[in-house]
Amino acid sequence: MDQRNFTFLFYGFAAAWAILALYVLTLVSRERRIRTQIETLKRIVEDKERK
Amino acid sequence: MTGFLTIAAKDLRSELRTKESVNAALSFAVVILVLFSFAMDPTSEQMAEISGGLLWLDFAFAGALILNRSFARELPNDCLDTLVASPVSGAALFLGKALANFVMLLAVELISLPVFGILYGMDWTRRLPHLLAVLVLATWGITVIGTVFSALTVNLRLRELMLPTLIYPMMIPALMAAMRLTTLLISGEGVSGDDWIWFRLLAGFDIIFTALALGLVDFVLLG
Amino acid sequence: MREKVLYITGVLGGLWLVRNLYVVLLVLPDEAAQGAVYRNLFFHVPAWATCFTAFLVAAGASIWYLVRSSPEADTLAVSCVEVGVAFTLVGLATGSIWARIIWGIWWTWDARLTWALITCLVYLGYLMLRRAIDDPTARARTAAVMCTFAYVSVMITYKSIEWWRTQHPGPVLSIRTGGGTIDKSMEAAVYSNIGAMLLIAAVMIAVRMRQETMQRQVDSLRRFVHSG
Repeated sequence: MDQRNFTFLFYGFAAAWAILALYVLTLVSRERRIRTQIETLKRIVEDKERK
Repeated sequence: MTGFLTIAAKDLRSELRTKESVNAALSFAVVILVLFSFAMDPTSEQMAEISGGLLWLDFAFAGALILNRSFARELPNDCLDTLVASPVSGAALFLGKALANFVMLLAVELISLPVFGILYGMDWTRRLPHLLAVLVLATWGITVIGTVFSALTVNLRLRELMLPTLIYPMMIPALMAAMRLTTLLISGEGVSGDDWIWFRLLAGFDIIFTALALGLVDFVLLG
Repeated sequence: MREKVLYITGVLGGLWLVRNLYVVLLVLPDEAAQGAVYRNLFFHVPAWATCFTAFLVAAGASIWYLVRSSPEADTLAVSCVEVGVAFTLVGLATGSIWARIIWGIWWTWDARLTWALITCLVYLGYLMLRRAIDDPTARARTAAVMCTFAYVSVMITYKSIEWWRTQHPGPVLSIRTGGGTIDKSMEAAVYSNIGAMLLIAAVMIAVRMRQETMQRQVDSLRRFVHSG
């Protein structure tokens, strides 16, 4: 493979992967946030039922 | 469909009494022109090149003030709900408001132009008919998009912030064309072969977004 | 169970992309003038193809919402726009990095680039608009209207290299030029990457849609619980 300008090719690919990975991370964090909300709600409902 | 003329007349009459939008927009426009004359040497060569850009940025920002008030003025006393519930069709309501905004913004522009001419020592009347055509076409483009988004954002807390943020990217094509043409026409040159594409862009922009706005108007107003 | 299927599909998409990376770097012939950096094309074009497809689906979902008022349509729309924006950023980044070498500048204001940036800004505005409205029905309707307007900018971006004389390279794929402008193996690699990225995008959209539905249910549950 012609190696001229390889560094910037690497940067380009790295940027593409990084952006997609970042978005996947936001999806993961959102998932975690929703699960926490569900847990909190479950606890509140259980507390109410016990009373 | 003459309902829209009634709505436009109502808005303009109310504006004539209070002068809230036009005063704010006009003061803003003139102040920007004055401030900018300190930023750059008004008599320099470069001034002629950026005249179109300066004027249309000025009009776009001043226009946002007018557009913001457009539907917001109907909020007190449930006027907006009454208008939407009235026999006036959604399209007529939208067109009427758009027309009123158009007239107000055009008025601000026509007053700002002589001010610009005086402050920057430029004769802007050399190609007056073409310049007026650009003013009319571009102002309608700004107005149509601005009125739609004014209706969409009327109930938001951060309306004053959201409205400009949402409409400026969409207005870029119209603003770009208007800026190029205005720079050309103020410097006295005619519109040559290549430059007619900008007029076509303005016309196409106006047609597409007016059609889109009228098509979606009922969904916009029910919000 | 469905989650597992989704994640496995996502991983498969990722593996496909990695396999394509191997092809792109080691198998394909060299381009005469540009050196290695021309291979950027194989991420740049598929990213834009994926994002335009996502925005098209979003526009369709928005119109479906306006006609039918079904919440799934709104969920589909927001998921597609979010994923679309992610791929738009990939497209802009890869394009800019390529341009730094080939044109010597990170950015220029030619028609296609300007329109691509406008597209990105407009959809970012869409996401901002959604955050500003709390009531789900009002949010869905307003967002649907805006999404339809926003799609006009996408269509213009696509057409911009035909309507204006631009610095950006003209159409290269056979479906637009009728053949002869690009080596067959390169074209196959571009389509293969488009497929892989569309798959990954589809998985992301599905995951996002699931999250949106869950969030909606959690919100209504929370309102119910707190009201007594």
